[in-house]
Amino acid sequence: MALTEEELCSQAGSVNEQLARYGVKFGIYKNGEFHEQLFPFDVIPRVIGHEEFSYLERGLKQRVTALNEFLRDIYSDRKIIADGVIAEEFIYSGSGYIAQCDGVSPPGGIYSHISGIDLVQGKNGSWYVLEDNLRIPSGASYPMIARELCMRSIPGAFTGSSTEDNRNYPELLRHVMDYVNTGGHSVILTPGRFNAAYFEHSYFAERTGARLVTCEDLTVENDKLYFIDYSGKKEQVGAVYRRISDEYLDPVNFNRQSLIGIPHIFDIYRKGNVALINSPGNGAADDKGIYYFVPRMVKYYLGEEPILQNAPTYLPYYDADMSYVLEHFDSLVIKDVAEAGGYGVVFGSKLSSGEKENFKAMLRSEPRRFIAQEVIDFRDIDIYEDGQRVPRKADLRAFVLMSDEPVVWKSGLTRFSRNPDSFIVNSSQGGGFKDTWILSE
Amino acid sequence: MRRLRYSYHMQLNFEEPVREHNFKLRCFPSTDARQKISDERIKIYPVHFSNSERDSFGNMCIYGTAKQIHSHFSVDVTGTAEIDINGRITAEPHKSGIFKYETPLTRAGKSIREFHMSLDPMNWMSHYERALYMMHELYDDFTYSPGTTGIATTAEQSFEFRRGVCQDYAHILLALCRLERIPCRYVAGMIPGEGATHAWTEVLDGDIWRPIDPTHNRECGDTYIKFSSGRDAQDCAINQGVFYGGGRQVQEVRVVVSEILP
Repeated sequence: MALTEEELCSQAGSVNEQLARYGVKFGIYKNGEFHEQLFPFDVIPRVIGHEEFSYLERGLKQRVTALNEFLRDIYSDRKIIADGVIAEEFIYSGSGYIAQCDGVSPPGGIYSHISGIDLVQGKNGSWYVLEDNLRIPSGASYPMIARELCMRSIPGAFTGSSTEDNRNYPELLRHVMDYVNTGGHSVILTPGRFNAAYFEHSYFAERTGARLVTCEDLTVENDKLYFIDYSGKKEQVGAVYRRISDEYLDPVNFNRQSLIGIPHIFDIYRKGNVALINSPGNGAADDKGIYYFVPRMVKYYLGEEPILQNAPTYLPYYDADMSYVLEHFDSLVIKDVAEAGGYGVVFGSKLSSGEKENFKAMLRSEPRRFIAQEVIDFRDIDIYEDGQRVPRKADLRAFVLMSDEPVVWKSGLTRFSRNPDSFIVNSSQGGGFKDTWILSE
Repeated sequence: MRRLRYSYHMQLNFEEPVREHNFKLRCFPSTDARQKISDERIKIYPVHFSNSERDSFGNMCIYGTAKQIHSHFSVDVTGTAEIDINGRITAEPHKSGIFKYETPLTRAGKSIREFHMSLDPMNWMSHYERALYMMHELYDDFTYSPGTTGIATTAEQSFEFRRGVCQDYAHILLALCRLERIPCRYVAGMIPGEGATHAWTEVLDGDIWRPIDPTHNRECGDTYIKFSSGRDAQDCAINQGVFYGGGRQVQEVRVVVSEILP
């Protein structure tokens, strides 16, 4: 870096101001109210070396390929169940499994077009996957716009460095939409501006040239999907990058109480007349219980050893794991499989002895509801706070885009905890973010 | 083997006119190993566009749109069914797992679990024998009572008051069978003498789906005409629809099934 640390950090305020001006915000619902808040940006980038990233890249491609195979299998032949590799209960009683997707082949055979894989690096340097997000993972826009603003405000930071340009994400996304498009326009479907990731939806629309639409702009007629413009003209749509969840997609087929959604879009998706990105029903593969089985899926479908490892995980559903969990309760973190966004996470050591007994009783009565993991001692990353560097816990959300082949975006969203004692980095819990630099040599 | 003549009539009357009515219907008996359907006639009114498909459970559906303003919507289905209840409808074990686990409508809560615990041990019985035994016990402890439950009532809610109709009987039996991890499914259809649609259950016995009717406490005979099957009533929804406008709506259903004597 041809730039001193002071020079870099002196620009922190200015970049954050510009992010605010551009509306780079994160919306959260708290106590039933919608609050929009800034997503604090830290100027010190996370830097990942070329060799190290190549390793992550191989592992991520392998993992996402196996997850796609898994989704194809459980919605068709169910070989993995017949061969006893995975307990079927984790598939059928998970909330993400959608029976109506059984027998449907999505365009291009792709289920998870955009996957957000959350990783952490342990103190010993090894990487662990913490979570696979295959529904509608968000966050790629943040490092992209931060990079753009930094290049403008702090051009010195980039001269002489061999950082991969991360501003190609829209091209990758566009390629995915074109690849699965069944004929017609590609659109980005947003639930509207009261969505936590609205900034991202509009930003991607602008950068990919896809139209940003809400449900009212789309209609199904004669088994085809159309966009209706302001003059009433109809144009066919062949790919929908939808940023609304499965249950709100189609009120005729799913949640009938839903006020949003596009009636019959699921019927024509079943017929192969439109691509939905990501495919409905993907939640069956990113359930916290299913996570346990991902390394087995890699071996089962690809016949390869998994390159990336899971954090050591126990399923109380299995008796042997249950006794381990009860015995080593204090050293484990317990997660409720139905919760997300950093909620439903309990550190065994932080409970009082009464709470512990209650929790163990709950674990025994509802073993399917929980997973337990060893607490990984993350490697800290420095952030710049009040004029000095301080260490904080951080993770990395890597993005894998699937078309004719999987491609790993050469960047990623690094999220950090602003609270020095917390391991929870989720933006919905007040965390901040960094740009992620991948060195090209 | 019996030959039956059936007619299903459904009409929705809207207090205020509606438009952009999108619907999905599952009220069409189709031919399988137990029923042979002929002379089928289907009339849906009004309709602007419609198409048919088999859903993931293999059920025949017609979905479509009625764009124009209308104040009632009607569906008429008539035909002849030749029923042989001994026909073999089979399932592959690794594909029937989905029918072993509870759904929101068939979740066993405190009252169903307590009832299940109060039953005799069933270890020595086959899946089918367990289902029959639980059906008899349920029948003895439950009152047929129209108007006390609705389409969204769960098994647990209706069992708490020990009252309900055929949908509730079916859901409770499914909840009980699923506590025993027996693959079982909900069936929607018609029988003679009810005037309305009926619901019963099928239990996987080895690799054969056997139909039993908890509302009447009996194994099904050659008078049961099937529309659809799924994990619960929601998978078999006879009429799903969304529209603009409408105010209050009243649904009329009339089912007539009669035997064609040789």
